[in-house]
Amino acid sequence: MHIVFGGAFNGKRQYVKNLMQNEKASWHEGMMPPLTRKDSVTVIAGVERWVKEELEQGLTEQQLIEKVKKTLSTSQSKQIWVLTDLNRGIVPTERIEREMRDVVGRIYQFLFTEAQQITRIWYGIPQTIKGANQDENLHENRG
Amino acid sequence: MARGELIFISGGVRSGKSAYAETIVRTFGETRKVYIASGQAYDEEMKERIERHRDDRLQDNWYTIEQAHKMENAIEKLQPHDLVLWDCVTTWLANELYEGWETGNMCVDKAGCMEAKWTRLQETIDQMLTAVDLLTIVSNEVLDDFVRDERYQAWLGNIHIWLVEKADQAIEMENGLAFRRK
Repeated sequence: MHIVFGGAFNGKRQYVKNLMQNEKASWHEGMMPPLTRKDSVTVIAGVERWVKEELEQGLTEQQLIEKVKKTLSTSQSKQIWVLTDLNRGIVPTERIEREMRDVVGRIYQFLFTEAQQITRIWYGIPQTIKGANQDENLHENRG
Repeated sequence: MARGELIFISGGVRSGKSAYAETIVRTFGETRKVYIASGQAYDEEMKERIERHRDDRLQDNWYTIEQAHKMENAIEKLQPHDLVLWDCVTTWLANELYEGWETGNMCVDKAGCMEAKWTRLQETIDQMLTAVDLLTIVSNEVLDDFVRDERYQAWLGNIHIWLVEKADQAIEMENGLAFRRK
């Protein structure tokens, strides 16, 4: 599993599109993909929106984590998760946003431990921050 | 003629980005140092802060251009080989995007208004780079939070991506440490 991570409007989806080139992918915005096995690459984006909607529906954090785990274990093919960083701001005044921020943060932490590869995007520039057999090259991205 | 060097620096509040940008300009060459300031004073404290900064820079032989809007108007004040520091994109964008708010007629609500300003800014940067030796552009990291103002943040993201693409160097500041991304 590959995570593409970064702030809003930093070019994360464009990076994924460039990565895919002509490869076929099923793209899921703001939702978990259906739990059927696919051959093509699965892109899961807008996770923060999905979390918000599920919380508003009354689901618990534990239920969301279970859904994420199920999604991770179902797919045979490669998954790319597009995760928007929204946890570097001021504590929100709205209760639902505070809850969402906590849940999103913990789901991201879980996904980060599961990921084989993590790419952080900063205004279109990728930086490998985990994995893909490139651990020995990580220093090159840290200058 | 060779194009001037473009350096993009972004960081959080008090990350040391402005000080770092000033150091880049100071050590880049011996020609005139120019500071383009886009901040606007909305109260006395802000006014004093701006004046204090301007006096500090004057001591250090900087020439200051106050340019809250319409960056193209700064071009005629520039000289060949100037070393320019523009601080910063976020204030400029807010000034341009919400221009007309006093009369309830903001640019952001008018079709094509910001698009035209953005095109002019791109042309202005290109034009500046044909004259000056160095153009250092400072901006803020404000996109790692909940999206509060989608239009502002989307514009800022687009502008940053374009600047990073065009820049010879792109630097992210983190608590006084410079991480060169490009």
